[in-house]
Amino acid sequence: MLKIQTGELKVIAQYIHSVSGIYLDHSKSYLFETRLSSIAEKLGCASYQELYNKARSDGSKTIERQIVDAISTNETLFFRDKAPFELLQHKMLPEIIDARTPAAPNLKTPVKIWSAAASTGQELYSIAIIIKELVRDLPRYQFTLLGTDISDAALAQASYGKYNRFEIERGLDQRSLQRYFTLFGDSWKIKDEIRSMVSFRKYNLMQPFTGLGKFDIIFCRNVAIYFTLEDRKVLFNKIADSLADDGFLVIGSTESLTGVCPRFVPKRHLRTIFYQKS
Amino acid sequence: MENLTILVVDDDPVIRRLLEQRLAKQSYVVSVAENGQQAEAALREQPFDVVLTDLMMPGGIGGIEVLEITKNLYPDTQVVLITAHSSIDSAVEAMKKGATDYLEKPINFDELFLRLDKIANVKTILRSAKDIEQAMTVTESAASETIQNLEMTVAKKQQLIDAVEDLLTDDTLPEDERIARAITILCENGN
Repeated sequence: MLKIQTGELKVIAQYIHSVSGIYLDHSKSYLFETRLSSIAEKLGCASYQELYNKARSDGSKTIERQIVDAISTNETLFFRDKAPFELLQHKMLPEIIDARTPAAPNLKTPVKIWSAAASTGQELYSIAIIIKELVRDLPRYQFTLLGTDISDAALAQASYGKYNRFEIERGLDQRSLQRYFTLFGDSWKIKDEIRSMVSFRKYNLMQPFTGLGKFDIIFCRNVAIYFTLEDRKVLFNKIADSLADDGFLVIGSTESLTGVCPRFVPKRHLRTIFYQKS
Repeated sequence: MENLTILVVDDDPVIRRLLEQRLAKQSYVVSVAENGQQAEAALREQPFDVVLTDLMMPGGIGGIEVLEITKNLYPDTQVVLITAHSSIDSAVEAMKKGATDYLEKPINFDELFLRLDKIANVKTILRSAKDIEQAMTVTESAASETIQNLEMTVAKKQQLIDAVEDLLTDDTLPEDERIARAITILCENGN
């Protein structure tokens, strides 16, 4: 494996931060090496400095995309940590539906949900499955389920909705598997009825949020942990701007907004915490 | 490392016995079945790490069916097919259905042992990955409980501080009254 030199760490770390917002600790050189060495070697680079130079001068941004794909962590499960999904089912969805149902019976109830670090799509598909099971008369609603991520590779898999046995077994029960997925050789593919409920888009959370509108429920789990405190403050401030006044925010179960964004107040429902704007 | 348990399925008694003896000599834990029906019965009784089955067998249950039955019962069990050169196409088809590997007849035992070693290694890695995942889940749930409790506590303290601040800057009250009320709130809500 190509070794990274001390002098290169800072340059590469700054570059990764500038293109992805992800902050890699300089002291963890193995993180750089395990994730970037194969790209460097494939491109015939003798050093990480050379990889950096190549990435910077690559007008097509292909190398940049490869680096972002390699650096972003795509570990995700269906129904990862049951609690947020129970919260969605028993509290957030019913309350938002109540609040958004129009007086006129012929109008649809609009509900917008955003999976801000969608990765390979498991979270958003889990949300869609819950909606499918909870909401009886789907045509009376206008659900917008948006998943965004910075990694093209992750989004491609999310869009395709195909998962291997290891990706699918963890977290998904047999009943949901049989009902919402089709066996495709050794893999499982999400059925069209669920796939058609969601859409995915490439989005860098570090850029200004434009063209997204306001959401009723935002899931932003386990992504801000890769950002610096300063970047986290900026991110959650933007998320507050993108959330409806009575909307809900869910973050990772080991994350905290204390000292990050005073605009959000934590609230407890059963054993889970969610956030609303103060 | 634990020895792999292997179910050998072959209708040819000579091959069956040869496999049984050679594998047992290598300290694998071997069971045998003469046909698909026996294999299914054995599988329903207990799981195996590896099923080593002939592809072409007489009767209703051939190697492909043994593969399907195995994968259905135990997705983690590895199925290796034994096939004549003439039926390699079906062996490739079987790989698409989840078989781990296939061996051509006559069986080269060095090759077979090599494959089994690989299967044993993968099994060890998978088990340690599962252990790590479990450890991570335990750590994560403990950490999240701590963090969430802290989050709620800090939010409550913040509310208290905000209330005291509001009180102390409330121009409609005389100063000593503000201080007295602030102290009362703090005493009522402090630990």
